[in-house]
Amino acid sequence: MTALLEVRNLSVAYGAIEAVRDISFTVEAGQIVSLIGANGAGKTTTLRTISGLLRPASGEILFQGKPIHNDPAHAILGEGIAHCPEGRRLFPRMTVEENLQLGAYVRKDDGVQADMERVYELFPVLGERRHNKAGLFSGGEQQMLAIGRAMMSKPRLLMLDEPSMGLSPIMTQKIFDTIKELQSLGTTILLVEQNALAALALSDHGYVIDLGRTTLDGPGHQLLADQRVRDAYLGEAH
Amino acid sequence: MSVLLQQLVNGIVQGSLIALIALGYTMVYGIIQLINFAHGEVFMVASYGGLATFTLLPDDLKKSPAVALPLMFVGGIVVAVVVAVIMERFAYRPLRNAPRLAPLITALGVSVFLQEAVRVWYPNATSNLPYPKVFPEGNLSLGTISVPWTGVLLVVLSVGLSILLQTYINRSRMGRAMRATAQDPDTAKLMGVNPDRVIVLTFVFGAVLAGVAGVMFGGYLSNINIDMGFQNGIFAFTAAVLGGVGSIRGAVIGAFIIGLIKTLAGQYMPGGTQYDYVWIFIVLILVLVFRPQGLFGEPERVRA
Amino acid sequence: MSTVDTTSGKRSALAPFAKPLAAVGGVLAIVAALLPWVTFTLNDGNWPDKSTLQFFDAPFAVTGFRWHLLLLGVLILVAAFAPIPSRGRVVRALGWGVAVVSFINGAYITAKGGGLGAITALDGATAFGSVAGLVAGVLTILAGYGYGITPVGEWKFKPPTPVAYLVLLVSFAGVLLAVAAMLTTGGVGTSNPYAGAIFLSFLGFAGGVLGALSGVGFIRWLSVLSEEHRVFSVIVLAACALLLPFTDAGNEYWMTVAANIGIYAATAIGLNIVVGLAGLLDLGYVAFMGIGALVAANFSGAAAANFGIELPFPVAAVIAAVVAGIFGAIVGSPTLRVRGDYLAIVTLAFGEIFTRSAQNDIGGMTNGSNAIPGIPALSLFGKEFNRELSIGAVKLPAGVLYYILIVLLVAATMAVFANLKFSRIGRAWIAIREDEDAARAMGIRTGQAKILAFLIGATLAGLAGAVFAHKNATVSYESFKFLESITLLAAVILGGMGSIPGAVLGASLLFVLPEKLRDFEEFRLMIFGLALILIMRFRPQGLIPDRHRRAELADEDVGGAPVDEVHAASKEAKA
Repeated sequence: MTALLEVRNLSVAYGAIEAVRDISFTVEAGQIVSLIGANGAGKTTTLRTISGLLRPASGEILFQGKPIHNDPAHAILGEGIAHCPEGRRLFPRMTVEENLQLGAYVRKDDGVQADMERVYELFPVLGERRHNKAGLFSGGEQQMLAIGRAMMSKPRLLMLDEPSMGLSPIMTQKIFDTIKELQSLGTTILLVEQNALAALALSDHGYVIDLGRTTLDGPGHQLLADQRVRDAYLGEAH
Repeated sequence: MSVLLQQLVNGIVQGSLIALIALGYTMVYGIIQLINFAHGEVFMVASYGGLATFTLLPDDLKKSPAVALPLMFVGGIVVAVVVAVIMERFAYRPLRNAPRLAPLITALGVSVFLQEAVRVWYPNATSNLPYPKVFPEGNLSLGTISVPWTGVLLVVLSVGLSILLQTYINRSRMGRAMRATAQDPDTAKLMGVNPDRVIVLTFVFGAVLAGVAGVMFGGYLSNINIDMGFQNGIFAFTAAVLGGVGSIRGAVIGAFIIGLIKTLAGQYMPGGTQYDYVWIFIVLILVLVFRPQGLFGEPERVRA
Repeated sequence: MSTVDTTSGKRSALAPFAKPLAAVGGVLAIVAALLPWVTFTLNDGNWPDKSTLQFFDAPFAVTGFRWHLLLLGVLILVAAFAPIPSRGRVVRALGWGVAVVSFINGAYITAKGGGLGAITALDGATAFGSVAGLVAGVLTILAGYGYGITPVGEWKFKPPTPVAYLVLLVSFAGVLLAVAAMLTTGGVGTSNPYAGAIFLSFLGFAGGVLGALSGVGFIRWLSVLSEEHRVFSVIVLAACALLLPFTDAGNEYWMTVAANIGIYAATAIGLNIVVGLAGLLDLGYVAFMGIGALVAANFSGAAAANFGIELPFPVAAVIAAVVAGIFGAIVGSPTLRVRGDYLAIVTLAFGEIFTRSAQNDIGGMTNGSNAIPGIPALSLFGKEFNRELSIGAVKLPAGVLYYILIVLLVAATMAVFANLKFSRIGRAWIAIREDEDAARAMGIRTGQAKILAFLIGATLAGLAGAVFAHKNATVSYESFKFLESITLLAAVILGGMGSIPGAVLGASLLFVLPEKLRDFEEFRLMIFGLALILIMRFRPQGLIPDRHRRAELADEDVGGAPVDEVHAASKEAKA
């Protein structure tokens, strides 16, 4: 059986600077997979390349066995990959409802309204303020909206970039609970996190990225126990 | 007093014309931060397109305004749209990620090119060309002031089309995609919005409005010439900046203010109509220097 | 861009055929030079340069464009077999030269002679010269891509001073001859019906050779050399310019043209300070030239002048420059608050205010649309500048004194530009151009520096305007309208922003072309507009890029077309 997403020997460069060198990983359907690593390791670049905002210098990206790395960014969502970008990137001058409608931009079916109600059920605070401008929301609420917006396209694969960034511990916990819930509803999740502890605890599989390469990988709990990972990313002093 | 009233009305009519052009500037700037300097020439080309359409009509149709006028609108709009789409596709799109000044210089080039192309290739374009008399004639008189019916039509079209445009952008799916692209192009792509399609559509809308304006300009002033694009383009650009670039409502209100400044300055300021342009340019400079975000723009917008 | 390389596919496919392609292309170019080009005599007379020669009839009688083709063909063969750096670039440039020369001549013959019959076969006579030439050009260009477009060759060789002087001397003498040839080739459009074709064909040849020299690294080496011996270079260059009246171009007509070019070149260099160095787009620049011209005209003692006083030219010129400079500082002052494209619009608005005011004879200073005519010619020791000059037995054409004055003016502006560019303020401008916020953070007083750029640029334009007033004897606001600003801008951009030789070359091309292409006078501005679009699209760094700027603008030089997303991302990454 082919993996849902397979990234093979991916390299990406900004001009002459290679941000990603030879990264490979796979995401099986139904899993939560996380990419962890320090700032500047190339995690965000990898996600942006998968969603077509950047072009690989070399390597391939296969989704459901089909190469997608030459598709334009706006076509990737139609393939079934939603990307919830770093810093949330809501449309601040639009209402909650309009943001969600944009999430469903590529859908032509009648289920949009029902799915919107489901997002409001999942995040009641959004439902209460559906006609307010997104720019006025708190960080945690914005993250909920960003996830909700990404879910509106009913993706096979949801990519989340630093969903816990800038959030309080309680809010972070809530976001991670939500991610787990989304998985149980059948969505495959590719998670990029600096909060390695929380991410690995949640993940079926994890990859450690360092200076643009995959250096380690294994099931989340196994990586959590790995001394090298603990040294490098979990802030444990010797 | 009646002179003042009359000039106020004239100002509003001219403002309506400027508004139709200003909307094209403001929309394109809102989406791709390009001062589409050639937009004034699109308006000019549309006016000639409308005239050419009339010239090509068979004689019996020329005598029937009810047929000829709509056909001229169609002709002007089609010419404007074709020019705008070609210009976007071949001049601006390849430069979408170039340094900021590159597309502006290209826009200047397109502007010069269009103006010269009409001058060289349109028959007798070096002199003023009379516009056909297929527009409603006579004046609407209100007490001491009178407005030509073409002026009334201009105001009605301008206000009507702006409201239509505003509604479309606020309500429709594509309008949402346009706003999304304006606010955050990358994220709009992640939503599946094809930026090329949105940008072309923006140019098309601008061109349609410029097309209407071009034909109405001929009807209102009964003459057209190749300088009309540059002049009115600058007025419209000033209006767009005054209203806050990117804002539909701002562009329309800005246009009315510019129209009023033009007629009132021509009447009351030293130098008269010979210097009315100068006052508008002074307003333009003052706005750019002291309130670049305009009356309705977002103050936080940073401009490199 | 190392990320995506769309040419690599083509390159690998063509690589094995590069040498045979170049060989065939070179031979074919030579054959094309010897083939007949036209089957019959055209309406306007024989196509120049014996183009109806039969195959190999008189191989030593080839002249003009056929001679150019022959030369290009030989150079292609040399480039294909001799060990030279960056072979791909050299071969590609030569190929373009062959293609352009063939295309121009073929197209003109077709258009002027009525149809394709003229360049193929008619009444038993065959004339496939242009077809063969075009094929040769295309093959050679493909060969160039086959070799691969590698970075321009870098010559480490550093000659001792006397050798360097000799090289510079010979090179600049070559430039002088090339300029003289460029002016006189084909004569004047009004007298020679084929002037345009001959001239464009010559440009194709010259462009091909220059491209090859640049590709092989000679131009870069030469510019390094001339920068090392800057004083010597400037002297030699000025001497060469002063020698122009002694070449074929030494007649009244070309002296006048050259003087006009010089005035605009000086103005373009001033504009290049504002646009090229400081990165501030000025769309109303020609107004400063107009202000200078009007001031000088009003102090000239012309009948229509406003002030009764007549000042000697140097005094009037200084006043003109100062007044223009003051206006420059005023126009520049919004830069304290406005940036980028909005600033460009502010300058445009100022330019329009000038035009409108001048048109309406503001303050009685401009005489409105009647202009100020009858401005007396300059004179020195009783010798009027527009008369002929004879020194002993040597007779020099009329206008030569203006020419000399203007050469000195251009030299002076160049010196100002060069000194500023490498000075503290020049570095500040470049820093502002690259990233204004960073420049400010580094402690550069950006507002001051930007206003200074406007001020200096305007001063130079005012000075040029003062000379312009006397040279042309009439000053009308019509000469200083928006389209003239655009033409100057086109000259700067075409030549290469921030580059001195670029500004001179740009001004020369834009003001020589209309002289040569009288049939195209009508299309002049249209072509300028098109040129702006095409330059921005295909060669934003200009024909002679500034060496510093080359790095940032010329993605293509590294090979491969950038994908726009990657491009955008790299900007983001820098931010």
